[in-house]
Amino acid sequence: MSFKLNSSVPTDREVVLGILNNSEEALNKLYAGYYPMVLQFILNNNGDEDDAKDVYQEAIIVLYNKIKTGNFELSSKLKTYIYSVSRRIWLKKLAQHSKKSNNIADFEDVLVVDEDVEQHEQKDMQFDKMKVALESLGEPCKTIIQDFYIHSLSMQDICEKFGYTNTDNAKTQKYKCLQRLKKLFFQS
Amino acid sequence: MRNEIELEGIIEDYLNGKLTADEHKAFEQLRNNDPIVDHKVVAHKVFLESMKQYADVLLLKQQLDAAHDKIDVAAISAKVAPHPSKIVRILRNNKSAIAVAASFLILAMIMLYSIQSQKDVGLQQVKKDVTDIKNTQNILIRDLKNVKSPAVNDKPAKVGGTGFAISSNGYILTSFHVINGYKGSIYVQNSKGETFKVERVYTDMVNDIAILKIRDDAFKNLGAMPYSIKRGSAGIGDAVYTLGYPKDDVVLGDGYVSSRTGLNGDTVAYQVAIPVNPGNSGGPLLDNSGNVVGVINGKETKTDGAAFAVKSKYIMEALNAIPQDSLSRRVAYGKRSSLQGLKRNQQVQKIQDYVFMIKVY
Repeated sequence: MSFKLNSSVPTDREVVLGILNNSEEALNKLYAGYYPMVLQFILNNNGDEDDAKDVYQEAIIVLYNKIKTGNFELSSKLKTYIYSVSRRIWLKKLAQHSKKSNNIADFEDVLVVDEDVEQHEQKDMQFDKMKVALESLGEPCKTIIQDFYIHSLSMQDICEKFGYTNTDNAKTQKYKCLQRLKKLFFQS
Repeated sequence: MRNEIELEGIIEDYLNGKLTADEHKAFEQLRNNDPIVDHKVVAHKVFLESMKQYADVLLLKQQLDAAHDKIDVAAISAKVAPHPSKIVRILRNNKSAIAVAASFLILAMIMLYSIQSQKDVGLQQVKKDVTDIKNTQNILIRDLKNVKSPAVNDKPAKVGGTGFAISSNGYILTSFHVINGYKGSIYVQNSKGETFKVERVYTDMVNDIAILKIRDDAFKNLGAMPYSIKRGSAGIGDAVYTLGYPKDDVVLGDGYVSSRTGLNGDTVAYQVAIPVNPGNSGGPLLDNSGNVVGVINGKETKTDGAAFAVKSKYIMEALNAIPQDSLSRRVAYGKRSSLQGLKRNQQVQKIQDYVFMIKVY
């Protein structure tokens, strides 16, 4: 079944429109379509399957954000773009772990995507910062914040979920949590 | 504390655009007047954006993980992973280069094979050559069965070839295969159409040379031979020509020596690029100075324009086998021929009286 998925690589237009319309199906097709290519690249260049997953997902996120911000032009094939981004990310990772990054075995054409990858890295740092801040926040703060800001629960829902006597208590708790989180986030 | 919670709530509503127009206006007023509030708004804005991005990426990652779980990683991995063998890995990594190299290789092999198979044909010919020279080489005897000839006895000759005089008293040299296998009488005919009866004097099957002697009262002495036999060998590229009787009239063939060896490196013969046809066998091969460098004796069936000529050295061997007393004014060997310096047409003019058609009945 998985190979059927692989064989049906979606057209580039399909993918761009699908992502702009938040279509999960389009994302799945995109993901399945180019994964073998990146897996092959990573496996043949000192990486394993987990590396491939990380690198590929980052590349998809780069593409996703680029399409979402509306500055993606179909000047190249999606395939080439994904490959180039994955390659750039993997080369950086190899360099970070001071593994040899010469003699890279290539399987596709390569574009210059340094700018996109750098932008992504900055965003990724923000993401990690938030993640670390949330982790160090501890319970129940982490869940309250996540429920309110990520899962978009109302204060009423949170109040009931955590068994606060009234929403004001919940609000006070959330306020305290938020202040701590902001401190953690901005200070780190 | 209470106020701060309220303020935070208002800032959030303000940033999310949930305030009414009046509230919005009032808050902007407050924000302009109070730098502390303004700072809180900016900070919260950055925080909310970061939080939103975090939420988006988190959601996307969850979706990607879900997509990842649907893929049979192990199966794809097995397909695309580097093969444990280095050779296979190199093959995979250089598919296109290898494809190009392979096609060149195949092309080269095809060419090599075709050349090889041509050679095989040649080899077979040589083998046959040894056992039966007549069948083996594409001998240039003209089949005269169906050609009405002005022969003395009015019967059509069975085969025809060419020969040339090597002495003024009627010794004529030709290819052995022209006369081989025929028990009947042999006649020669000169360019004027006069026919004389000849008899076999000498045969050399190995070098494919035969010498005939005119025994005919009508025959008058030929006079001095215009050409001489070349001492030493001809070089590649030397211009040569031959006179012969592929038809009832004498025909000039023009070309050059293309190889110092004959069929498959046969050192007895030259390879010459000259158009020859059945009937040319036994004809003299002359260079531009009027020296006989060989005797035409066959051609390659597979290659266009490749004929063979027995080297002049073997002509001399044959000549030396004849009792020297019987040869009157024999052809000179290694001497300057009287044709030297003459133009081709003048040379042909002088030679054609010494070139004969051989007719075997």
